[in-house]
Amino acid sequence: MFPFIYEFHWTPVHVVFLGIFFSVVIVILSTLSIALLRSYKAFRKQQHETIQWEAEFEDLPVAARTCRHQITGEIAQRTCNHEFDCRSCAVHPTFLAQRAPVLAPAGKEESVFGFTMPLDRYYHRGHTWVKYEGEGVYTVGLDDFGKRMIGTPDAVELPAVGTTLTANGTGWMLKKERAALRILSPIEGVVVQTGTAQDGWFLKVRGREPIVETRHLLRGEEIKPWIMRELERLQAAVSPEGVGVSLADGGELVQDMWKQAPQVDWDGVWGEMFLQA
Amino acid sequence: MEQTAQSKSRYGMVIDLDRCTGCGVCMVACAVENNVAPAEQKATERTGVTWLRVYPVSNGEGFPANDTVFIPMTCQQCGNHTPCVSVCPQNAVEVDPSTGIVGQIPQRCLGCRYCMTACPYHARYFDWWDPQWPEGTEVLLNPDVAPRMRGVAEKCNFCHGRLHAARTKAAAAGRKEIAAGDYVPACVESCPSRAIVFGDLADETNEVSRLSHSINTFQFLPKLGTAPKIFYHSAKEWVRKMADRAPLA
Amino acid sequence: MDRQFIPRSVQRSSFARFAAWILPWILLLGLGLYAMYLCLAEGLNQTNMDNRFAFGLWIYLDLTVIALGAGAFFTGFLLYILRREELKAVINSAVVLGLICYSGAVAVLMVDVGQPLRAWFTFWHPNTHSMLTEVTFCLTCYLTVLAIEYVPVVLKNRKLRQIPRFLVFEFELHKVMPVFAGIGTFLSFFHQGSLGGLYGVLVGRPFAFREVLGIWPSTFYLFILSAAAVGPSFVLLTTWLVQKLSGKQLVKPEVLRFLGKVSGWMLIVYVLLKTVDTLYWINHTAPAEGAPAYTFYTSPGFGTWILFAEIILLGLLPAIMLLSKRLRERPAVLVSAAFLACCGIVMNRFVMTIQTLALPTLPFDQMMSYVPSWQEIATFLAIVAYGVVLYSLSFRYMTLFPQERDIRQ
Repeated sequence: MFPFIYEFHWTPVHVVFLGIFFSVVIVILSTLSIALLRSYKAFRKQQHETIQWEAEFEDLPVAARTCRHQITGEIAQRTCNHEFDCRSCAVHPTFLAQRAPVLAPAGKEESVFGFTMPLDRYYHRGHTWVKYEGEGVYTVGLDDFGKRMIGTPDAVELPAVGTTLTANGTGWMLKKERAALRILSPIEGVVVQTGTAQDGWFLKVRGREPIVETRHLLRGEEIKPWIMRELERLQAAVSPEGVGVSLADGGELVQDMWKQAPQVDWDGVWGEMFLQA
Repeated sequence: MEQTAQSKSRYGMVIDLDRCTGCGVCMVACAVENNVAPAEQKATERTGVTWLRVYPVSNGEGFPANDTVFIPMTCQQCGNHTPCVSVCPQNAVEVDPSTGIVGQIPQRCLGCRYCMTACPYHARYFDWWDPQWPEGTEVLLNPDVAPRMRGVAEKCNFCHGRLHAARTKAAAAGRKEIAAGDYVPACVESCPSRAIVFGDLADETNEVSRLSHSINTFQFLPKLGTAPKIFYHSAKEWVRKMADRAPLA
Repeated sequence: MDRQFIPRSVQRSSFARFAAWILPWILLLGLGLYAMYLCLAEGLNQTNMDNRFAFGLWIYLDLTVIALGAGAFFTGFLLYILRREELKAVINSAVVLGLICYSGAVAVLMVDVGQPLRAWFTFWHPNTHSMLTEVTFCLTCYLTVLAIEYVPVVLKNRKLRQIPRFLVFEFELHKVMPVFAGIGTFLSFFHQGSLGGLYGVLVGRPFAFREVLGIWPSTFYLFILSAAAVGPSFVLLTTWLVQKLSGKQLVKPEVLRFLGKVSGWMLIVYVLLKTVDTLYWINHTAPAEGAPAYTFYTSPGFGTWILFAEIILLGLLPAIMLLSKRLRERPAVLVSAAFLACCGIVMNRFVMTIQTLALPTLPFDQMMSYVPSWQEIATFLAIVAYGVVLYSLSFRYMTLFPQERDIRQ
């Protein structure tokens, strides 16, 4: 195996054979080390939240990855390949140039298919909302659609004040039954205050820059088609075989879907709706 | 592998099948000389270890034309592309370039049995059991030969213990070469009908060299091109024809 | 009770039912482990191998499972190197199958050798002329590669992926996967070939010996081709079987059809070259060694029907079935063709290993027979049981078929 070991011969066959073997071993080991080193670096640079989202996004069903511009009908068919981060998308600005949805004035309650979705704020595809409170502070909460799917959570694990959040990273955790759900943070920033379900919001976040880029969040006229799409997805997830599970109560969607249909595999449904594999 | 062609000595044998009576003394002598353990109780003719095996072969005729030849079959010490050498994954089989003897190093053997598959003469044996000598018989062991452990392959090496002894004797006498009479394998020595002639095939003055070229001398499976160094001799035509035949032909 | 370990949004049977399925296999595995222990502790006298039949059931089945396991490297090659993205649907399953086949074969080999503790000698002072050295080096490296390829599958388990470290490592590992796929392909070419070369170089066995092309005998190349041809068929067949057993559709039908098509093309090339090789061997190689080819087929068990069955019935026929678009689109035909192709490799490896040893080489010898002992059979069944257990666990707790969830909707 090595020149100092008995039975080593400096013959072409021997040298070529061992040369190939050692090359293969070196390639295997160095590739493995590169992967280890990169993941170590990612951790050092606090990139693991981004990476986790990237990995999860990859594993989402195609139906969950539809581009927002397909939902609004601006384009016939498009699957997102930017992990729902329109800030890095080259196509998004071309759509904005044609039609840019805007926020409604504050205090306007809006009912979208029975859900209370105020249009004075931004929405994230993972069913959270963001509202600018002035002085660089944003309020973050769970939207009505998300609330009704879960009902009352068994436990809420909020990040400590001072925690840095990443857009599409873990915002906070909700526990219900056996499911531990990662609620995705809609924006990046530092947590300055935490609330409760009763407050109607969960986090107050100070943006890293004075004005946080919100281009990746849904707003205004996009909300209605999005909720319609989400209802379709929910229906498919709740009863994949098409068997009727009714989530509506006399035309109105129930307040606590989980209580209404306990036979459903809610764990799977929540995972699908809150965008986690 | 090719080195053997240029080696100084090429030890080989010529076995006269017409003299062999099939008594089997050579097998016993071989086992005793080389510390082959007595067969395990459950051993069969296909799992026992006999570096030298005598096969009886009949001409298939009825009485009175019936004839049987006894063929002592041992490692044929192939001199060209030795099949067992190239296959061994860890160099446990080597041809000694100075003698042409195919050596087996049991201490290095993994027991994969690839060499046994490769050998067309079935001259290689595997230790299926732990070697065991009945109480008291250990004293009969040959101190010049190491017994083999379970799970390795072994085979005839022309009594390498005797080769070493001959070399030691020559060195003690201040000679570089061993005297021909000092190195005789156990089977050759023990044969009561002197059917086996042993010696250096490279030495043309030698009887073995002369006999190997004589008429009615043949090898088994010469067409494989492995140049075996064991030659057989028989004046009987049916024996030579039998040896030349393809199996199952 | 194990719901939180099972991937989201897929249906798996209750734990009790799963346990009932897995338990008999675990018992079989236990029996096999006992047989292995006997062979290691008592020696190889526990087998029915002998000095004449020095390789038996184990080597035969090792060669077979390694050929079937070629689906892992070939699927990886098509996906990562040739970018056939549709194969993402089966790559995880193929990797698990490969890992099972290779680790099982290596485990049996370790029992098969008389002194397993000396296995490292091959690395320390290798005989680089030996095919077995090539096999040993490649198998060790490739098993490492397969284990590395299996790591991301495990780390993506629902519970494990919640640990950010694992998910990040999985992500980074996934990025370098084409390197491992490339190395795996390279290694597979060599060891599949060397396994063929193992018999092709046997100059003392005219039935197995083949002419050297380049530096290897022709069987080297034929084994690579046949393994690459049958690998996809085996992935197809197992996927179909898992679909039947689980009662779920796991991949889109076009994925299976694509696997069948790839298999068909490789198989037709193999059959062609195998025919040329066989003709040359019958007319030239074997007679030159002093053994006319007809003598190999004189005994009743091993007649010329073997050649016909191996090349036509289990080679050409499935190749045609897989290559015809009309036939391929019928699931029954597709699956039967894949099954026939797999049988072809089982037959070919049988002929190369068992028939080679059964045929006598000395003029006065007769055909030799050999029946494996229960220890040999149980040892092999242990590998089958181990494979079923590992695959079942992987299927239950990991995502082997990413399309399963999409298809459900």
